[in-house]
Amino acid sequence: MHDRLTQSMRASHLLALLFVLASLALAAMGTATDDTFYLRLGTEALIFAGLALSVDLLLGYSGVLSLGQALYFGIGAYVSALTLMKVPSFWLAMAAAFTASLLAAIIGGLIANRVRGVYFALITFGLAQVLAKVVYNTRELGSSDGMIGIPVIEIAFGPFSVSTGSPVGFFLIVLVVIMALYALTAYLLDTPFGRVLTALKSNERRVPFLGYSAWRARMAAYVLAGVVAGLSGALYPMLRGFVSPELMFFATSGNAVISVVLGGVGTLAGAIYGSVLLVILKSIIGSWTEHHLIVIGLIFMLCVLFLPKGLAGVLRPPVEAWLSRHRRIPGPVPDAPVLPAIAVDTKAAPQ
Amino acid sequence: MTPVDYLQFVLAPQVVNGLALGIAVVLVALGLTIIFGMLDVINMSHGEFYAIGAYAALALGAAGVGFWFLLILVPVLMVPLGMVAERLLIRPVFDTKDRHVTTLLVTFGLGLIVEDVLKIIFGANTQRPPTPIPGATEILGIILPNYRIFLILVGVAIVLGVAYVVYKTRLGAMVRAAAFDRNMAASLGVPVSLVYAGTFAFGVSLAGLAGVLLAPIYSVFPTMGRDFILLAFTVVIVGGMGSIWGAVVAGLLLTQVQALASLIISPVWTDPIVFGTMVAFLVFRPQGLFGRLGHA
Repeated sequence: MHDRLTQSMRASHLLALLFVLASLALAAMGTATDDTFYLRLGTEALIFAGLALSVDLLLGYSGVLSLGQALYFGIGAYVSALTLMKVPSFWLAMAAAFTASLLAAIIGGLIANRVRGVYFALITFGLAQVLAKVVYNTRELGSSDGMIGIPVIEIAFGPFSVSTGSPVGFFLIVLVVIMALYALTAYLLDTPFGRVLTALKSNERRVPFLGYSAWRARMAAYVLAGVVAGLSGALYPMLRGFVSPELMFFATSGNAVISVVLGGVGTLAGAIYGSVLLVILKSIIGSWTEHHLIVIGLIFMLCVLFLPKGLAGVLRPPVEAWLSRHRRIPGPVPDAPVLPAIAVDTKAAPQ
Repeated sequence: MTPVDYLQFVLAPQVVNGLALGIAVVLVALGLTIIFGMLDVINMSHGEFYAIGAYAALALGAAGVGFWFLLILVPVLMVPLGMVAERLLIRPVFDTKDRHVTTLLVTFGLGLIVEDVLKIIFGANTQRPPTPIPGATEILGIILPNYRIFLILVGVAIVLGVAYVVYKTRLGAMVRAAAFDRNMAASLGVPVSLVYAGTFAFGVSLAGLAGVLLAPIYSVFPTMGRDFILLAFTVVIVGGMGSIWGAVVAGLLLTQVQALASLIISPVWTDPIVFGTMVAFLVFRPQGLFGRLGHA
């Protein structure tokens, strides 16, 4: 079935592929110049791209704004840090972060999914705030200072082994993990479950009439988003060697929302681009003034007002037009679910 | 320590200080709840307008403007600011499908900008204007700073004044009508567009007034709004979004919980208790204690 959703997701995949190529180019350049700084910065951008991905899954597909997604990111980071300090195993840390964020997201989802709309935004905000304050005041978790001294570990892939201390090696590992998370979410959104989510966004009341449980779909999306955020967070202590309560604070959740809006809501690939864009903006502006919030706030506001489809709204239509010219995908099915950010002019395509 | 001493020197001052904080929170929450109740807009930059009010009081006070005059001047200066913000930021996205999310995002961006602008103009350091009413009074053996007593009295007067305007005047009726049914109100001659801008400006101006009143107690720093807005949001949710009396009751209740809890447990744990209350309310009674303003 080729409806507009499939078509626009293909364009997203192509953008994601371009992103991977660009990342590989950065990795190659980094290796050639023996660079550490930019590779580390790129790794951090990728990790936060995972968080943005989880926000986009909720905002762009099931249509609810989470202002506390950093909660699961932070849980992933802390659990991963605690595991690594006991047993220096990448896979164990990821498994522990997966389990912890899964459980937390089920509990959080049971609470948050009782309400909709603006209440959902505020409840997720409140949940994150409660846990952030608890962590902030718990001496066993390092209180406000966080935990330092997370060891550099060797990540074993069968016969290969990569150290988290190697800038380019760890960059590639993170790239693989984040892209796997992208592929997983994109795949799930292409299944009937994904269609129920888009249906939720466009008209939630009608979903039960079609025989689907709105609550179940929303819950599944929330748990999935929590796990995506948790697994991304698990990578953070491996990169920085420390975790701090700031990871759970509103600033972290807010940055993820900014990334998604800049990149384009409901495009997945846009979230990744947005996150990288935000990191680039911050480091460029940060190099000549410490007041980067003004510029970022301004760009963000202008984006909401004048470019509601974000960067992907600019990048994706040409990609889509190109795809439909070269693959001879039939034009949009008239009654296909209408996702934002697509206006393909089928008449313009050569016969 | 005898029970009477405990009452006089520990419990009572704590209750009164909690009351002063409660009034402060209610003043900030009032504007927030009015903007939500009437316009259906989540103003994430409300805390920053509160900070603007506080900084305006600080700067004008340093320039020699008296405190009593500031109480009038700053809220008046905030009105055009609110009008412009409404016109440029809220109006363009007011009719989008997901108004809550879009307006929340826009005002969130505005908050970021304002915070940094304040940092540029006034610096990142904490400043404190002199207390306009120094001294303390002894009431029933409890020693209370005069300014806190003044704050409590003024706060009560402001809340009553706002409630009077909203519920008892023709202007208030027009605003409530515009919130209830925009088209019907427009066809009956209510200048809806002006009413919306005015309501937003009114909420912003209340935040500014709260800034003037609270600056001498809680100090002035660029992120002051961010710390306060969390509590204000909690109050608005627990009270019922858009309800004036709800905000008052919830504001006083929550700050008392905070004040009394900090006698028993470490004060750092009172924040989780307050936010936990908010989460519990959202789960079991999302409409809050009271119904919503302008919506029967």
